[in-house]
Amino acid sequence: MKTARSFAALSAALTGFRTVDLWGTGQVDVYLDELIATVGEDVVARLLAAGDEALVSSDPKKALGALLADDELGPVGRNVIVLWYSGAWRPLPGTWRNRYGASTLDVARVISPASYRSGLVWQAIGAHPKGANGPGFASWANPPTVPGAG
Amino acid sequence: MPDYDVVIVGAGPVGAILARVLGEVESPRPLRILVLESGPAVGRTWAEYQGNHEHYLGAEVKVPNTPWVSSTYAPSPDVLDIRKLVPGSLPDDNGYFVQYGPLPFGTDYVRAQGGTMLHWLGTTLRMVPNDFELKTRYGRGVDWPISYADLDRYYELAELELGVSADVGDQAYLGITFAKNYVYPMFGIPRSYLDEHVAKAVDGMKVKLDGKQYTLLLSPTPQGRNGMPNPAYDNGSGYRPRGAHGADHVGLRCEGNSSCIPICPVQAKYNPLKTWGRVAPHVEVRTQCVVSRVIYAPTGSKPVAALEYYAYSDGRPPPTKPDRVTASVYVLAGNSIENPKLLLASGGTPNKHVGKNLMDHPYVLSWALMPENIGAYRGPSSTSGIEILRDGNFRRDRAAFRMEVVNWGWDFVTDSPFSDVETAVDRGRFGSDLRSDIAGTVPRQFHLGFLYEQLPHPGNQVFVKNGYVDALGIPRPCIKYDVDDYVRKGMAASRELWNQLFAKLGATEHTRYYESDPGYVTYDGKPYSFIGAGHIVGTHRMSKTQGEGAVDSFQRSWEHENLYLAGCGSMPTVATSNPSLTMAALTFRTAEQILDDLGTR
Repeated sequence: MKTARSFAALSAALTGFRTVDLWGTGQVDVYLDELIATVGEDVVARLLAAGDEALVSSDPKKALGALLADDELGPVGRNVIVLWYSGAWRPLPGTWRNRYGASTLDVARVISPASYRSGLVWQAIGAHPKGANGPGFASWANPPTVPGAG
Repeated sequence: MPDYDVVIVGAGPVGAILARVLGEVESPRPLRILVLESGPAVGRTWAEYQGNHEHYLGAEVKVPNTPWVSSTYAPSPDVLDIRKLVPGSLPDDNGYFVQYGPLPFGTDYVRAQGGTMLHWLGTTLRMVPNDFELKTRYGRGVDWPISYADLDRYYELAELELGVSADVGDQAYLGITFAKNYVYPMFGIPRSYLDEHVAKAVDGMKVKLDGKQYTLLLSPTPQGRNGMPNPAYDNGSGYRPRGAHGADHVGLRCEGNSSCIPICPVQAKYNPLKTWGRVAPHVEVRTQCVVSRVIYAPTGSKPVAALEYYAYSDGRPPPTKPDRVTASVYVLAGNSIENPKLLLASGGTPNKHVGKNLMDHPYVLSWALMPENIGAYRGPSSTSGIEILRDGNFRRDRAAFRMEVVNWGWDFVTDSPFSDVETAVDRGRFGSDLRSDIAGTVPRQFHLGFLYEQLPHPGNQVFVKNGYVDALGIPRPCIKYDVDDYVRKGMAASRELWNQLFAKLGATEHTRYYESDPGYVTYDGKPYSFIGAGHIVGTHRMSKTQGEGAVDSFQRSWEHENLYLAGCGSMPTVATSNPSLTMAALTFRTAEQILDDLGTR
């Protein structure tokens, strides 16, 4: 639970959404499990520890920027953002795989239909996941609104 | 006595409409009808249909065929198979098609009950009257053996079957007329916010294309999807929208799921499963039965004697022996590639037009960023277009085209919005900065799609060749395809149009074509990349007299009195309208003729 809370907190800071938004998708535990299965417990532990530290530091934004620039944790952190926005895992860069190992799960894949539906990008642009959650007849004629960052 | 009165090959839209109409005959006795479908059933129940939708949502690569399973023994061509061809090399047999080039034929289809209209967009434009007289009016291509007036009544039947939402006043342009007091079953689908924004700039705007001035108008698109029923329909009887097959309380209005291609999750968009749901129960439909040969009679008044087909099960070894079936009337309703493939693989002396004059709408996209949020990624793919450039004297010289305004951002062209997220993240954006970056750009995306009319050329063709066979040993479609200067000159004119439009809208163009694109072509030093539109037409064209085509105006084979070749293959020219509505109209006309043949009308 502690791990999931750390993961949700780091994810919120990286995506610009509130933790309550992330919990609301039902994907926090799913993505954490996928992440551990893909890059291993040790990398995830280091990522979450670095995240916990960054979030309580005097300048969280700067600390998170440093985390994302880290050779080992940076590409993983960036993939976590993409995962949340799209519901899909994208392969880690070749340089990362050469240095830290290539997992069989490190392939382009949508985690599940539910994760696709939960992609944050659709909320970020004021739309709905393409192919799901249809907003209703004639809704497309209404002026667009983009919900602000939380 | 033959096994059946009618055997129909193919359970797509044409097979469905024929089966429904012919299945309604009761006197002197119901007709004995068999439908043989090469592919599987994919939507017999609502649950089965929903399975296709879930499969699509969970798929990493989302293309038109994604939701629809393909059978081992009846493969479907897929757009993922399309590659840039290497001139002078062996043909590319990477996918189901064997591509001889010089350009790849970039269109897919679905071999399953319901056919390719399972993933059509839903556009239901009528052809304009001059489209039927391209040769007479402009000295290009050929004329049709029928006129707009001959089809008007059948267009009405098609608009009822497909459940079209549109307003007559918006659709009466370029000589298109409607019967007195006619209204569509449902009012027009509301236009998108983007459409209204574009219309404000475009309506009445003067543009110059190949040196001539035109006044623009953005027209609402007629669509085979459920909207608000028009109480004036059918002289005041009104219209009740048809819901999903197997769940008729679902999909009574378009809900804006924004995935018309490849699957409407609620079946508010017409698909042939809805017609199949209304076919009389005595009509036999056998899926997973691939017709492999038309067997001709050596003599006599019934030139086609039987059909040979393989019944298979996926996951089992292939059948070793074909079955045979006989009928009074045979209808090939495969599609414009499967129909000629079957005839050419059957031996004998096929009509010389069979397989020739393959056409599609080469489809070019141009994309740009609006100065403000126009609500991208909402609504059906396209709800309006520029239709008034579909006809004019310029057709002596270059292809006419229609232009659709597309509501789905750059999804088609750059895999947006996911690629936008990845790009921003890889530039180091995260947190609220990332979110406002995305919110500030992606909703401003839009693109325009251009469909050009292609002329019939015998050299663009489907044929069969020894050595290229599928898992049942049936020949695969070999294709030669090119895009001539008539089309490319049309592309150049469309570029003039989009340049002027983007300028008027204050939009920043982001269009880029790459030499590595499979459909990369140039004209006058400028590049264009086209993709297929899925509008396969022309390969068994109808004609006024024998010798000029493969079928008469009722889609009956000139040489084989008891054989019909039905579908888009009968269309002598492709013109600029998405062909499904016209195909459906022709099908109703053919159904009447078959009833006459059988003495039951």
